Amino acid sequence: MKPVEVKTESGKTEAGKKFFLASISFPLFGYILKRILIFIPTLFIISLLTFILISAAPGDPAETMLNRTSGEGQAANRLATERSYVDLRHKLGLDLPIFYFAPTNLAVSDTLLRIPIKNHREMLDRLTYQYGNWSQIENYYHQLKSLEYAVISTKKDSTNADALIELRNTVAKIFIHHEDNVLSPLLVDLKTQSNSAANLIEVKAHAEATEIAYSKIKSEATTWKRYVPLVQWSGTHNQYHRWLFGEARWIGTETDPTLGKGFIRGDYGISFFTKRPVKSVIWDGLWITMLISFLVIIIEYIISIPLGISLAVNKGTTYDSSVTVGLFLTYSLPVFWIGTMAIFFLCSPDYVEIFPPFGLGDATWDDGFFYKMGDLAYHLSLPLIIASYASFAYLSRQMRGSMLTVLGQDYIRTARAKGLPENKVIWKHAFRNSLLPIITIFASFFPALIGGSIILEFLFTIPGLGQITYAAVIQKDYPMILTNTMFAAILTLVGYLISDILYAVVDPRISYSKK
Amino acid sequence: MAEPTTIKAKNEQGYWAFVNKQFRKKKTAVISLYIVIVLAIVAVFAPFLANEKPLVCKYKGETFFPVLKDIAVGFGIGQFQPQFQNVDWKNLKYDMVVFPPVPYLPMNQDNDNIHSKGPFDEQVIPSLRWKHWFGTDELGRDVLAGMIHGTKIAMTVGIVSMLIASIIGILLGSLAGFYGDENFQISRVRLWGNLLFLFFAFFYAFGARSYDITDALGRGLDEGFLQLGISVLIFAAVMVAGNLLVMVLKKIPFLGKQVAVPFDLIIMRVIEVLNSIPTLFLILLIISIVRKPNLYVIMGIIGLTGWTGIARFIRAELLKVRNLEYIEAANSLGFSNAHILFRHAIPNALSPVLISIAFGIAGAILTESTLSFLGLGPADTVTWGQLLSYARQIPQAWWLAIFPGFAIFITVTTFNLIGDGLTDAMDPRLKQ
Repeated sequence: MKPVEVKTESGKTEAGKKFFLASISFPLFGYILKRILIFIPTLFIISLLTFILISAAPGDPAETMLNRTSGEGQAANRLATERSYVDLRHKLGLDLPIFYFAPTNLAVSDTLLRIPIKNHREMLDRLTYQYGNWSQIENYYHQLKSLEYAVISTKKDSTNADALIELRNTVAKIFIHHEDNVLSPLLVDLKTQSNSAANLIEVKAHAEATEIAYSKIKSEATTWKRYVPLVQWSGTHNQYHRWLFGEARWIGTETDPTLGKGFIRGDYGISFFTKRPVKSVIWDGLWITMLISFLVIIIEYIISIPLGISLAVNKGTTYDSSVTVGLFLTYSLPVFWIGTMAIFFLCSPDYVEIFPPFGLGDATWDDGFFYKMGDLAYHLSLPLIIASYASFAYLSRQMRGSMLTVLGQDYIRTARAKGLPENKVIWKHAFRNSLLPIITIFASFFPALIGGSIILEFLFTIPGLGQITYAAVIQKDYPMILTNTMFAAILTLVGYLISDILYAVVDPRISYSKK
Repeated sequence: MAEPTTIKAKNEQGYWAFVNKQFRKKKTAVISLYIVIVLAIVAVFAPFLANEKPLVCKYKGETFFPVLKDIAVGFGIGQFQPQFQNVDWKNLKYDMVVFPPVPYLPMNQDNDNIHSKGPFDEQVIPSLRWKHWFGTDELGRDVLAGMIHGTKIAMTVGIVSMLIASIIGILLGSLAGFYGDENFQISRVRLWGNLLFLFFAFFYAFGARSYDITDALGRGLDEGFLQLGISVLIFAAVMVAGNLLVMVLKKIPFLGKQVAVPFDLIIMRVIEVLNSIPTLFLILLIISIVRKPNLYVIMGIIGLTGWTGIARFIRAELLKVRNLEYIEAANSLGFSNAHILFRHAIPNALSPVLISIAFGIAGAILTESTLSFLGLGPADTVTWGQLLSYARQIPQAWWLAIFPGFAIFITVTTFNLIGDGLTDAMDPRLKQ
């Protein structure tokens, strides 16, 4: 997409004479090592960025995983669901602070994170914001909880049934309100309702305690605490650390199998949607996307380098101008349009049915090797064509441009003046130098392919990294999105590394020992 | 931009005149420019080209301009006459009526022509005036109307998101290129102090007032803006007070020592990180945490992820420009760094930015239509990519596959061709 700045320096003639592999020398390995070391902080920052973005996502993952509806139910039943919810939150690490440190104020307490119900957390957060005295608010919440328990565990009979239903509704309302003008009347209602039937002594006591606790919040308010900034230090006990490094022991065998090992030890967490480990899904997808990207790159370079050279050599002819215009148009065709059209017209029984419309084939494990390969090739052929055409057009144009630049150089004129045959001038003197810009493009190519995998795999329903990511975005499956983004970034960085190495191999003038 | 125009006034062979002349030489680029102008006209006049309401009508002896009225109502001026509220515009008994060329809105469902009727299929229509020239989709919505209003979306997305991207890109890129790692010198206390004050300012302006702001925004936009305004005032007050304090503290030798802010290093690292995540993955990641992606969110996301190219180009250009003699001259004349940067350096480094903006608009339109095609685009409007995605569900509806895709193709190609033409016109080095 971007115009690539083609920078040329006058090349040395002996550059072409050197043996191809001789340029891989010791400094190069040092350079590679250095590049890998630079990648590590970059990856850390990427992981931080993606992790914090994901933590800002709305909704409570544990709630969605349990598909929980709060409110009704018998006492024992409700306690059981609450228990499992708390357990799940703990298992996912959601009761931990997000990062090592967080800017907060004096009023906020980190115990808030351990409150299992999202609405309640919000209500308590609001109360803290309003009154600033966490200890009183916590006390109020405990009173409210025991009141709720008393209400649902009181035996229903003919005399108190109506009162109990009313009480339940009032309590449910109190749990989600923080405004004083709503809460105070509700607490008064509570009192009258608990007085309306005879056998509600326990409930009545709790209702009174709750009211006292609430009035204490108001009378002992410390609103000023909200205006004192505080950087809260949580140490390594936080979600990010847990996700990246895990909690399991690094040395020796772990006795507790439930402890995660963290991203860098190959434990990517549990998918919110399938509830299976992310690891089991992601490797297959990664393999497929890598295979497709690799094949696409090979196809593109095999076609576009000779094509670009032949265009440059025949510059100005009708062949050149017509192919160049054709390449420009091809390059501008959106992949998802051409893909849709191809599926539409080439894979449909309504029009022409040449290619299979989706999937990677139906070969089973028992089929022969050649059948399996053939089936895979048959299914991959159309996706590969679709993925290749756009960038191959771009690459050919670049190759033509860079070959033209090189052919205009003085040393080419010298070579021609020496009487070398044109063939030798092009392949021996110009070819290697003209490759440089093409290799630089590789660095931006690889991420484009990984990003493009989302569209390609969506079009052809190929279960690769892109398709998995797309599905995860639709399902809001955050551990999956996080892992996929990390892998996409790692693959991109590997692409940059490969392009650096290729650059060194092709251009021996580049020295990596210095700088 | 003042300099180039004054030069042009004096001398016809000024830079922009030269660029203009070179650009005109390239036929494809000029044709593309005309196509873009046509697209812009379609985008601006979309409500007049495709609308369920008549342009002019005479109803019960009175003359009305319902489309104009509709636009006025959209701006909050006036209300529809009671006799026109919730009416079926198509079947009113008019004395005289002129409908727009396409008498449908993109969201209107024509119940007579549901299940995607093609242009050549038998359509249930009163007359040829009501024909769906580009067919309908599964719900009976007119495809041509969708394409006309989609032009508006595509052009808006392309221009607004590139505007965001170029503001960020030009600002950060020029900071990196002009100041480099050593040339921005401030005192120690000002550097660290400002970082600290930034924290305090954010805390008092937004952190400590978070629920006040969100509640006010929930009650209404005007109250929300009032609270946001108060926050901005607090923010500014903290920063000003902090910097006054810095002026005093600067007198202490240790704190007053000049240190360099490595803008180049920081900004290039940020660009490196952003470029290491494939853009579509980054965009999908952000979309996954947004509750409902509407048009503004999509434009914001594309703009926020698309500035790195522009920043790199302007940085490279400023690295060259900052060592030129006229910058030195301005320096020796005693102009401030900021003055030199904004008045002299940036205007002279804008040409590569213009090129990458042209390519960037093409890219932004492509990204938006890709997102819509994936079903992740703005949910509240009809877009080209969305229309194209319907083709996947209905294997017979070739009109859904061809027309919207062609519109995307033409728009993207024209912007690319303009970028190509600008490259040739502005960068004579690249010309063969």
